Amino acid sequence: MKTRVRTRREFLKDTATATIAGALYFSLPEHLFAQEEKKARVVLVRNKNVLDTHHKLRIEIVQQMLDEAVTVLVGESDPVQAWKKIVTPTDIVGIKSNIWDALCTPPELERVIEGRLIGAGVPQKNIGINDRGVLSDPLFLKSTALINVRPLRTHHWSGVGSLIKNYIVFLEDPSTMHPDTCADLASIWKLPLVKGKTRLNILVLFTPLFHGIGPHHFSPKHTWAYKGMLVGFDPVAIDSTGVRILMAKRKEFFGEERPLSPPPKHIFLADTRHHLGTADPAKIELIKMGWEEGILI
Amino acid sequence: MGEVNTDLARLLPDEIEGWRVTAKDRLYNRATLYQYIDGGAELYLSYGFKEAINRTYSKPGQPAMVVDIFDMGSSQNAFGVFSHAREVVEESFGQGSQYTEGLLLFWKDRYYISVLAHPETAESKKAVFTLARNIDKAIKEKGPLPEMLSLLPKKSLVEESIRYFRHHAWLNSHYFVADQNILHINQDTDALLAKYGKKDEQSILLLVNYKSDGDAQRAYDDFIKQYLPELSKKPAVKIEDGRWTSCQLQGNLLIGVFNAPGEDNARNLIEEVKELKKREGGKATR
Repeated sequence: MKTRVRTRREFLKDTATATIAGALYFSLPEHLFAQEEKKARVVLVRNKNVLDTHHKLRIEIVQQMLDEAVTVLVGESDPVQAWKKIVTPTDIVGIKSNIWDALCTPPELERVIEGRLIGAGVPQKNIGINDRGVLSDPLFLKSTALINVRPLRTHHWSGVGSLIKNYIVFLEDPSTMHPDTCADLASIWKLPLVKGKTRLNILVLFTPLFHGIGPHHFSPKHTWAYKGMLVGFDPVAIDSTGVRILMAKRKEFFGEERPLSPPPKHIFLADTRHHLGTADPAKIELIKMGWEEGILI
Repeated sequence: MGEVNTDLARLLPDEIEGWRVTAKDRLYNRATLYQYIDGGAELYLSYGFKEAINRTYSKPGQPAMVVDIFDMGSSQNAFGVFSHAREVVEESFGQGSQYTEGLLLFWKDRYYISVLAHPETAESKKAVFTLARNIDKAIKEKGPLPEMLSLLPKKSLVEESIRYFRHHAWLNSHYFVADQNILHINQDTDALLAKYGKKDEQSILLLVNYKSDGDAQRAYDDFIKQYLPELSKKPAVKIEDGRWTSCQLQGNLLIGVFNAPGEDNARNLIEEVKELKKREGGKATR
């Protein structure tokens, strides 16, 4: 698919796209973000006690954080009632997690989500958790709802591994998505197996990876205990927000602007080409809850 | 993944500081590297990757030690993939290395090597270094660097910022320019990026060596049209963020400067490159 070139200079001149590019490609000051009316709600919840002294997750705090985020997102004070607005007892729910061994979706969080789905009336037999086996998992193949949950990290080829990219395994051959640094990942969300099914997106930032080196793209030196989660309905808005946090961390760590390499073009195009959601910070209502120290956004 | 019958295995010992091989080696080629590092494979493929071996060593009570040796086909490619994420200038192993909490990366001749033992212990760190020394010794020859590195002016060069590449995706490694390949960088071009000066005042130098003068001219024309149309009237342009950009051709070499704090910084850097090229005589070699 041929598209017009978008350059740094164009972004600097064009306020309509400057805010998105400023968020994804380089560190445009936040005060330059224009104000718009219609906004996608994203909840950032943080808790400084979510990791114990051995850096293990405290499941009760994970539960508390998710409940806080979902109730605010949905506008219900009771978590059970909030989840009843997300799923119905007749749903067949696939929890799409991520098993990358260096930074996987925490099993504690998977259990908390499963518990809330059951609390909302979904029978346990109709709940599945999977990542790379979704195409051979009968439950995912007949699912009516998906919960998309994974950690935030930088990625060799797509810039970041986050919510939009988490559905790449719904393709028979994920490598077909690799040209142009995975630019069209959002197109996966239009596949029949996926389209319209995602009820909730959770981007995990307990210990995000802000930089990657070597073939395994991982060093603990490049993670930090951010102790947060981004929760919302719009995966593009959440990914865009996550990238802003990563960019701020990179600037803090390296002491200079350090763009993601390569830039996360797929998030930009998820908004401007595929219209999956908004990547524009000016169109995102970011609600911050909990621990504020080192919030970076 | 295939059966291990390769010279790569000969670079590795069977045992190191009590860590022993407990699993079968795995071998990957261009078609199968995706099975190992999925999207990460694209980085290696863009640098001419040939094959890789993956071996895991284990020792009770210690983290597993995972070693990967990538045959990149040439020393220039091995340097390129190493330079991609270099943060420091060290030569403790091979022709360049960096260590960070359990992960040692280095390159020598046409090989790029990663040794990972995570989480790091004092014992595992020692073993990682011993293994790296073994591999370093087993690779007999050093390989040449990309010749175009000689075109980088030395004054104010931030050496660890040098990036050598043949895929346009890495053009934006230091500074976002455009979301498409407006400089026509591909497998037939050699490109270098490097930073100059102090933080917050850094200029970014880009050199691209094309196969022919005609290719260089076409890339230059496209770049000027898409990014810097004012350059046809003046030698350097102050862009919308207040920083200076300039670009010139010399034969098949494109010289670009981005993010310069002043017009003189941009123009002087280009002149220094031109002078270096003139001294070398003729076209820059690849």
